[in-house]
Amino acid sequence: MFRDSYIILKKELKRLFTDKRTVFFMVGLPLIMLPLLYTVMGKISQSRSADIRSYHGTVFIAPEMQKESPIYEEFISIIDEQMNVTINEIPEAYIPTAKDLITEKDAQLLITFPDNMDVAYEGIKPFDVHIYYNAASDYSSYFYRRTHEAIGSLADTLITLRLESLDIPTEILTPVTANRTISYEEINLAKKGSEVGKAFGVLLPFIIILYLFVSSMQVGIDTVSGEKERGTLAILLVNQVDRASIIIGKLGAVVCAAFASAISSVIGLMIAGKFFLKDLFRSSAEMSDFILSANQIFQLGILLIPVAILLVSLVLICATYARNSKEAAGLVMPLYMVVLIVSIGTSSMGETVPSWMYFAPFINTVVGLKSIFIKASSWGNVLIAAASSLIFAALLIYFMIKMFKSEKILFRI
Amino acid sequence: MIKIHDLKKVFENKKKGSVSYKEALKGISFVCKPGEIFGLLGPNGAGKTTALRCISTLIKPTSGNISVNGFDVLKDERKVRSIIGFLTSDMKLDGFFTPDYMMDYFGRLNKMTPEAIAERKEILIKELHMEEFRYKKIDKLSTGMKQKTSIAISLIHDPDIIIFDEPTNGLDVITAKNVTDFLKKYAKEGKTVLISTHIMSVAEQICDKIGIIIEGLIKELGTLEEIVKSNNTDNLEDVFFRYLEAQDV
Repeated sequence: MFRDSYIILKKELKRLFTDKRTVFFMVGLPLIMLPLLYTVMGKISQSRSADIRSYHGTVFIAPEMQKESPIYEEFISIIDEQMNVTINEIPEAYIPTAKDLITEKDAQLLITFPDNMDVAYEGIKPFDVHIYYNAASDYSSYFYRRTHEAIGSLADTLITLRLESLDIPTEILTPVTANRTISYEEINLAKKGSEVGKAFGVLLPFIIILYLFVSSMQVGIDTVSGEKERGTLAILLVNQVDRASIIIGKLGAVVCAAFASAISSVIGLMIAGKFFLKDLFRSSAEMSDFILSANQIFQLGILLIPVAILLVSLVLICATYARNSKEAAGLVMPLYMVVLIVSIGTSSMGETVPSWMYFAPFINTVVGLKSIFIKASSWGNVLIAAASSLIFAALLIYFMIKMFKSEKILFRI
Repeated sequence: MIKIHDLKKVFENKKKGSVSYKEALKGISFVCKPGEIFGLLGPNGAGKTTALRCISTLIKPTSGNISVNGFDVLKDERKVRSIIGFLTSDMKLDGFFTPDYMMDYFGRLNKMTPEAIAERKEILIKELHMEEFRYKKIDKLSTGMKQKTSIAISLIHDPDIIIFDEPTNGLDVITAKNVTDFLKKYAKEGKTVLISTHIMSVAEQICDKIGIIIEGLIKELGTLEEIVKSNNTDNLEDVFFRYLEAQDV
């Protein structure tokens, strides 16, 4: 049986890996497209941020008569220092016009101070500054955030002034601090690389499953329903090949192709990650700390091969039932959504998971991958997860063999 | 030898909650002996392909018996598949590969040794005049070249039983002649050849025995002379159209 499967596997692999177009779409494209996509996205986002930061805005401040106030002067100096704006002091009567200009995006901000501001300050009473902005404008939103920060700085300055006028040391406001006299490296007791692994543990498991599923769909549907549709499957069925051999041969080829495509996608993502992950971690040293041991790489393989077989079996069972590739894609789509939701849901779960999760298909792989990435995996759980995936895959393959023997399914019209 | 006794095939069609049945074969019987070419002659939808598909184990008979060289198609289906060479227009070849590669591939699947494959390949390529296109991609071949490739693949394991469904359909005159000569040669060598056709001239020229099948029933069975004589006419076409008119097909 396995001899025939091997012959079919070799032919299917030759079909997939010697066709330049298929190889390009399956392996080359993710390797080029993902880094390119994320780099372009990153560059666009960077240039947008730079544009917003360098934008020269218009800010209205009212009412005009507050000009002489020391608080007002302090605030203006902070704004001048921190923001690239032209400040227009306006009378109260001009406030509605200023608001209109902000709505129309012709100006970015209106700041109004209360009349009794100095009195309130002297009397140690709080006063409220109103900041009007346009949330639909990136420039206005940016100046709004910066003004909020300026108000915070103003508050700090005023507190210091008050304390100094009362001869009270400013330290009185900070009776206790945390980690001011110790470095971050000293206080963080996580295993080397496990912090980056935690972030990977949230992202990578579902991305790997997603790419494995998509690649299985791309190749698997054509391998069975495409062949049914083109009439190239029937010729195999009238030869002395066991139905199980046909399925195992085709399944093996699709698993190889799915792996090749998924690995290329993950590598593409990692290359792209060099660009977009740099903001996620404090230093590139943290990234380089994330190295999986040989044991962990072996565990990854033990987890991923069974789940790839399970995913491909799912795709092939739909492809076997379907009359054509279009119908197969329609049948696979809901399963794809379920697997995706389950994987995303499990990825976002906490570190401690109930033991039943290691028995549930797909959930077990996500949980297992997470444990490997955060360097907390155990061989027992990895083997349970792998065995569980294999048992489910074997069940699907058994049904697929039954389907391959049913003329009602194989010759559905 | 192929022996068919009271073969019935009913197709079930489930659509929108209702089930309908189509009786494709209503109990046909015939025997196809080694050294002869048996032709199933009938219009489209008469049940020719269904009968051949049942014999080649592609589909299962609803009732009746089919024995191929003494092997039952239901009990010994793999054994049956190992001794037949089956060709039907529904079966296509993967256009990505060359005829040479496909012959190797099916030879290996038929448990042949590399030496036996190489030897058989050369014979078939010569007999079917495939030298020019053996290394070309199947996608790039003409209909006739593709048909020759299909024939070569179905016969790579040198089967004792040859079952061809409409083997000359869509072929030009020269290729069709090449194919019919090829079948005659194999019958002469003692192989059992069963073909289906709706082309009267093919049946007249190459079939030793003819079964006229209409609406799932064999209406006439015998040699060309026997059929013509028993119907008081001098050609097969008259007999065929009489049945068609009688059935109002």
